[in-house]
Amino acid sequence: MRRIEYYFRETASGLRRNGIVAFAAMSTAFIALFLFGLALIIGRQLSLVIDAYTRNVEVAIYLTDPVKVETVDRLQATLLELPAVAEVAYENKQDAYERFRELYINQPTIVENTDPDAIPASLRVRLADTAQYDQVAAAMGCAPNEQTGRIECTQPGVREVRDYSDLLDRLTTINRVLSRGILSIAILMLASAVALVANTLRMGMFARRREIGIMRLVGATNWRIRTPFLIEGLVEALIGAGLAIVALFMVKVVFIDRLRGQIAFLPLVRNADLLAIAPWIVIVAALIAVIAGLIGMRRFLDV
Amino acid sequence: MISLQNVSKAYPKGVTALDDVSIEVEKGEFVFLVGPSGSGKSTSLRLLTREEDPTGGEVYVAGKNLAKLSTWGGVPKLRRNIGCVFQDFKLLQDKTVFENVAFALEVIGKPKHVIDQRVPEILEYVGLGDKLNNFPDELSGGEQQRVSIARACVNRPLVLLADEPTGNLDPNTSVDIMRLLDKVNKIGTTVVMATHDQAIVDAMRKRVIELDKGRVVRDQSRGVYS
Repeated sequence: MRRIEYYFRETASGLRRNGIVAFAAMSTAFIALFLFGLALIIGRQLSLVIDAYTRNVEVAIYLTDPVKVETVDRLQATLLELPAVAEVAYENKQDAYERFRELYINQPTIVENTDPDAIPASLRVRLADTAQYDQVAAAMGCAPNEQTGRIECTQPGVREVRDYSDLLDRLTTINRVLSRGILSIAILMLASAVALVANTLRMGMFARRREIGIMRLVGATNWRIRTPFLIEGLVEALIGAGLAIVALFMVKVVFIDRLRGQIAFLPLVRNADLLAIAPWIVIVAALIAVIAGLIGMRRFLDV
Repeated sequence: MISLQNVSKAYPKGVTALDDVSIEVEKGEFVFLVGPSGSGKSTSLRLLTREEDPTGGEVYVAGKNLAKLSTWGGVPKLRRNIGCVFQDFKLLQDKTVFENVAFALEVIGKPKHVIDQRVPEILEYVGLGDKLNNFPDELSGGEQQRVSIARACVNRPLVLLADEPTGNLDPNTSVDIMRLLDKVNKIGTTVVMATHDQAIVDAMRKRVIELDKGRVVRDQSRGVYS
């Protein structure tokens, strides 16, 4: 108990003494962690969009109602024989509706206005080679109708075949570029945060070099001497993490929630997604503190 | 209690502080280390607390080979058994007398009830029972040195190392401080004191080890300064 009280007191006085430097460390940690979280959220948002529009596969084959088991088996066998096809999965009507509801759970009007029966069962095809979509179309007997220009498929049970490979490719690229761009800025900022936290620790140790000298002299262990500084770094990083999490919620409320209802059929990140990101931000904050501690105290504390 | 066996200490720039020094100090002894500046007195003391490592030979304190102590556990434990007193007192100016002494116990994790009992006790012992709440700058040099001796002794060390403890004090005060160190010695603490102070060494008639250019040139029981 007394030990905890001791560490708490030492940490508080350290933060007070370091004032402006501690503030710099905290705000850098905040910006770094915010960008890190932002990259995660954008990644999550885009993967929701990708999931909604393409189901993460290149080709969807929508089936006519009612779906017969033999039809599914036959089509699956046909598809799997094609060299361009890597994987085929069947999604029945209930599953398709469930997934739809799950995606738009935040937009109940969309769900309410959709007839469960309107969502078709489908075969989801992952291509081994996206350039070979034509193989799939041909196997399903799809060709443009000469009069209407619409694509019609002659295979029994097939309503429509859609090629999403282009869209999937584009969305994935956007996702990659955005996430990586923000993530690399975040990493740069994380490195600065480490340097600044390490610097506050070092300044704190310099300011207290007489105390530290006496502590060593009378036989205080390394941990006893280091822990208050480690906690100080941890507190700085965790305050940054707390602010970053709050700021991310604000971004969601101000920017993402505004989109709700503006664009039909666009699934949006939810509070639950943010809550899932929060522990990662805290973990990264703790890492900042630990690395800063290792760097900041390395030279100072050889016995 | 203390044993230096063929100890040498050379610094990287080619300075030899100690050259094949062997010294044995028994439990409860009072020893003066004398010699001119740079003769190796302070280095010897710093080897005993493992603030420095010898470049040759071995150092034993209380039966332990210091080279074998771990930085994490062994060295702190060694230092808890050694009290140190310096010429410049090394007191913390923003702490009271009580807090300065309590600090030494607090940072080695002693519980509050032990601190509240031992600190006033030791301050009474060194004659500062009425100055608990004064700050160091409100005390005379002699009183400050008493605080520092109290801090060194509060954890009941086996050995007390004093590096020029009277170097900043006038002769009368120095005599008082020596009486106190003698008192600490009488209760069984081994005392090693490095000093230039001829009058004190001559008056005390204790064992004298004289160093010159890093070598022991004299080791005399009940000796004088030169």
